Amino acid sequence: MSSPLAKILVAFKSVPDPYAGGGEAKSVVNPFDEIAIEEALRMRERGEATEIVGVTIGPAAVDEQVRAALAMGVDRAIRIDDARALDPYAVARILRALVEKEAPQLVLMGKQAVDDDSNQAGQMLAGLLGWPQATFISKIELLDGGARARCTRETDTGLEVIELQLPAIVTSDLRLNEPRYVSLPGLMKARKKAIEVLSCEQLGVTVQPLTSVLSTTRPPRRSAGARVESVEELVRKLKEEAKVL
Amino acid sequence: MLSPMNGHTVNEATREVFGNISGWMQIVFFIMIAISLGILAWQVFDHFRQWRQGRPGGFERSPRVWLQRLTVYALAQKRVHKKTLGALLHGALFSGFLVLTIGTTLLSIAYDGPYYFHHGWYYLIYELTMDVFGVVFCLGCLLAMYRRAFVRKASLGHNWRDWWLLGILLALGLTGFAVEALRMHYTQVEPWLARWSTVGWLIDITFLRGIDIESAKTMHLATWWLHTILVAGFFVTIPVNRFLHVITGPLNIAARPERPMGALVPLKMEMVEETGLIGAAQIGDFNQQQLLSLDACMECGRCEDVCPATASGKPLSPKFIVTDLRSVMAHGGELHGVAINPDTLWSCTMCQACVQECPVLIGHVDLISDMRRYLVGEGKLSGPPARSLQQIGNQFNPYGRPNGERLAWAEGLDVPTVESNPNFEYLFWVGCAASFDPRAQKVARATAQLLKKAGVNFAVLGKEETCTGDPARRIGDEFLFQERAQTNVATLDRRQVKKVVTACPHCHNTLQNEYPQFGGNYEVQHHSTLLAELIEAGRLTNDAGSSESGPITLHDPCYLARVNGVVDAPRTVIGAAEDENFREMPRCGKKTFCCGAGGGRMWFDEPPAERVSNLRAQEAVASGAQTLATGCPFCLNMMSAGMADTAGGENVRVMDIAEVLLSRQDSSAAILPDAGNGA
Amino acid sequence: MTARTLILIEHDRREVKRPSLHAITAARQLGGDFALLLLGQGLDEMAGSLVSYGASTVLVADGEALAEPLADRYAAVIAQAAQKLGATTLLANSSTFSKDILPRAAALLDAPMLTDVVAIEEKDGATTYQRPVSAGSMLATVQLAGEKRVLIVRASAFDAPASDSAASPIERLEFDGAVLPNGTQFVSREETVSDRPDLTEARVVIGGGRPLKDKESFDRLVVGLADLLGGAVGATRAAVDTGLAPNDCQIGQTGKVIAPDLYIALGISGAIQHLAGIKDSRVIVAINKDPEAPIFQIATYGLVGDVHQIVPKLIEALRSN
Repeated sequence: MSSPLAKILVAFKSVPDPYAGGGEAKSVVNPFDEIAIEEALRMRERGEATEIVGVTIGPAAVDEQVRAALAMGVDRAIRIDDARALDPYAVARILRALVEKEAPQLVLMGKQAVDDDSNQAGQMLAGLLGWPQATFISKIELLDGGARARCTRETDTGLEVIELQLPAIVTSDLRLNEPRYVSLPGLMKARKKAIEVLSCEQLGVTVQPLTSVLSTTRPPRRSAGARVESVEELVRKLKEEAKVL
Repeated sequence: MLSPMNGHTVNEATREVFGNISGWMQIVFFIMIAISLGILAWQVFDHFRQWRQGRPGGFERSPRVWLQRLTVYALAQKRVHKKTLGALLHGALFSGFLVLTIGTTLLSIAYDGPYYFHHGWYYLIYELTMDVFGVVFCLGCLLAMYRRAFVRKASLGHNWRDWWLLGILLALGLTGFAVEALRMHYTQVEPWLARWSTVGWLIDITFLRGIDIESAKTMHLATWWLHTILVAGFFVTIPVNRFLHVITGPLNIAARPERPMGALVPLKMEMVEETGLIGAAQIGDFNQQQLLSLDACMECGRCEDVCPATASGKPLSPKFIVTDLRSVMAHGGELHGVAINPDTLWSCTMCQACVQECPVLIGHVDLISDMRRYLVGEGKLSGPPARSLQQIGNQFNPYGRPNGERLAWAEGLDVPTVESNPNFEYLFWVGCAASFDPRAQKVARATAQLLKKAGVNFAVLGKEETCTGDPARRIGDEFLFQERAQTNVATLDRRQVKKVVTACPHCHNTLQNEYPQFGGNYEVQHHSTLLAELIEAGRLTNDAGSSESGPITLHDPCYLARVNGVVDAPRTVIGAAEDENFREMPRCGKKTFCCGAGGGRMWFDEPPAERVSNLRAQEAVASGAQTLATGCPFCLNMMSAGMADTAGGENVRVMDIAEVLLSRQDSSAAILPDAGNGA
Repeated sequence: MTARTLILIEHDRREVKRPSLHAITAARQLGGDFALLLLGQGLDEMAGSLVSYGASTVLVADGEALAEPLADRYAAVIAQAAQKLGATTLLANSSTFSKDILPRAAALLDAPMLTDVVAIEEKDGATTYQRPVSAGSMLATVQLAGEKRVLIVRASAFDAPASDSAASPIERLEFDGAVLPNGTQFVSREETVSDRPDLTEARVVIGGGRPLKDKESFDRLVVGLADLLGGAVGATRAAVDTGLAPNDCQIGQTGKVIAPDLYIALGISGAIQHLAGIKDSRVIVAINKDPEAPIFQIATYGLVGDVHQIVPKLIEALRSN
């Protein structure tokens, strides 16, 4: 006997395409968040959830990624309009306000965004809300008619299984699933769906980022194709030139 | 003694038709035949109604094409001919049945029509012909029975209905002869005339000797009724057995729309927006011609015999695609996930071997393409192929590399671009593989070096080139393909391109056969064709004697040989004709066997046991070749991997034909890659 | 009892994890006194092993309620400890353990946080931090506002600390198990036996291809070199297919994407599927007998030769260094 969760909130971020390999990268939904969206959709398809609400924070330019989430199958999408470079803690505080407004039974998001690789927002949100959390999950199943969730976490040393009292925050790892592909007509259909735009004022939250990125530099690129003639030369170059030993 | 004697004239030669059959019996006969034909017609009409579930249209409209196709594929049965028992027995059954049907029809015209022409020389030849083909027909039945009982080709499929059909056909033939013999016996036909009805005469003089006329008449009547009942039973059961293809086969042969084999059907965005439908979600989403084609299948299994997916143990058989869809068409039910699983659809390499084999011109690949489009539209694709499509959308190439690096392969070669050489004759379309895959980059280098050596006026697009969209279209994202097609057509037109040469058969196919759907019309050549021309013009040398490659074989890429008919050119390039070291594989030319990369399969991960490339590598190793030449970057990739997985394959070099040719030029730096192709 | 910095020490219920001690070096660089914090059950022996690093105190939160590292409880206790000490900096080594717990503690402490810090610089009174972003392809320099901070540092960027200080006092941190969060239950744990680093996070990765021929050569050469350098083991699809390496070792388009500081490719020709997975590596070394192998086009250092002959020499040379 199980009753589906009434609402799952999935938070996602727009990031530069990590597969672009430099150059003019288009923005995409953060791959880990895409996995979170996929899991929420699969839970709905399994009859474990009723409504999937997607949320992101950013300027109007990220609407394209909001539509990608809608095209994947998110029922409703919210963009919190804020063009600033926010740190994870600011994001967590904004999301707390939205969670209080939306009252979902479960919040899903990626374990980290592949642009800043911070790996913080989900845990911070859980801390702010005082909700249970499961990070780096590779599996989730609902128990007791949706009162609890059993999660398998991927840790440095292997796998760990924990059970959470819902509502809770869960962050996805790579092996949770393989997200579905969104085709062009799917995207075009999603263009017709409304995106709910909210401001921080409307949510009643004021945040000031506490971290600021001063600069980003590309580590020196490897010089392609240098041949070495001997093991000795290789070891010397790795020590003295590349400094990796 | 086949000439009249005793003062009789040939002109009097004829026979009775309903001589032994009384008036009421004739009426019963006609009613029986009419009812059975009525039941047949009603059942065929039911099939017709099933076809009408489909989207309207999809039919070929040109009567010239109908006529030509019916002549070639229905009458001459081009696709059936093969050196096999199946082809032989089909020839016997087909010709026998055709002649007997025409003969019976002529007889009824003669009997009921205004002119009685059933006499004289016409009659004599008629009788002889009918007897000869009756024998041929019966032999066909016996051969078919033998094949079903003892050969038992698995892909043919076997059940009791097949025995019913063959049994009834053989019984029809035998009772026909018996009726003839008994009729001749009781009418006491003169020997000279009897001999023209050879089989009946032989039966008469062998088995009916001493039977009195009245007994013969009774036996004739009984046999005649048996024959009649069999005919009626045969008519009524046509729609539930393989014989239906005699009606539906020719219909589909005429109706299949004329289109290059390598071109998939475009979808219109307006239609998608209007109907909200992409591809085939339900059986009714196929067009009417496609539904008709399902009924044209007589389950001969030829498609399955050549299918690389079936051969490599994947869940796909082209035949079962057709029969499973047919079952949904007839009985309703869910298509996706019930009748046909997604894994089955993703297994197809779109090599077109099944399409090439099918005697009744069923378009298996179009059926699969429509269903794939639905899966992609519904978000049922994930994993590596999904990533490749995303990368085509974002970086304009399936490898996800910055499009600005498109000319990395040309470093140090001083390759002319459309900027530096705007008055080029040939546009060298490099393709994504040769732009980004380090192994295929060497093919682009070899090709460019050869073109330069031969003094060809060519240029490359550089970073203006983007993926043709071929993988997107084959996997099922039609609009991602169209986005690429429209962009590329605009680029090619802006650069005033007339002639295109490419080293990739998939680019070749899409540019030549699919871009005209978007207003792009270019003269497209595979590099093998241009290189062969340059060799024949003496602008490049191809001295097989200088070859150090040892025994060499050629793997024909599907989209070059089968789909676009280019078979000789790559052989010319590697000097196959003059090279006694050249080994042809059993499956070659248009009958080539896929490497496993087509249909977007390049971008799928597959377990080693299911790799098509391993099967092909085994075939190549068995040929004794030490070099496998090919003309496709994906074949190159797949066959290299296949060789690495195959015993004896580690010593076989896999090369492009351009690399082979370059290694044979006078002063070229040999670029034979080392054996050992492990990734 | 006070300390400027509180360092979370990780253990495996038997002993302290060595890399987690590298955070002590980062704390020394930041200046001021620091305390070490151990959480768990039955920690006396481990606490004893931490007294010689110069900490102002070794804090031990020991109890049944902390037997398993559940983030909600641990974060609550850590925040409580930081407040008790008046610590403004919370520090730990980078691991799935610290990344699970510290961000939650940071939220409880209302502090900004940085993960995977690889360098800390003081300039004109301001502190800046460097950390890799975009899967290691870029290096960001970051500044923090306010007094409080939570930092997760990479052990590879900070040396192991000297263990030669006078004994630090060990103190028990009292906490009320009954008021700790109770929404999470531990169910089970399944540890993989390997103590090699995770492929996607390792600083050094050794990859092996099909020319290694058999499992024995693969284990001796690829795994041997990886163990010598403390690196992870990777493989091409062909090597995985032929059973030379397990499935989860596969690097490439259909496997894992890695971005280590050093990738050593042994007998790998460089098929594009494989290159897709290694292109973000900082230094690539290729050893292959085919001078035309595509891997040499992207390798920082290429050495042409048979892996079976060269790798034993390389292992020898690295050992003697």
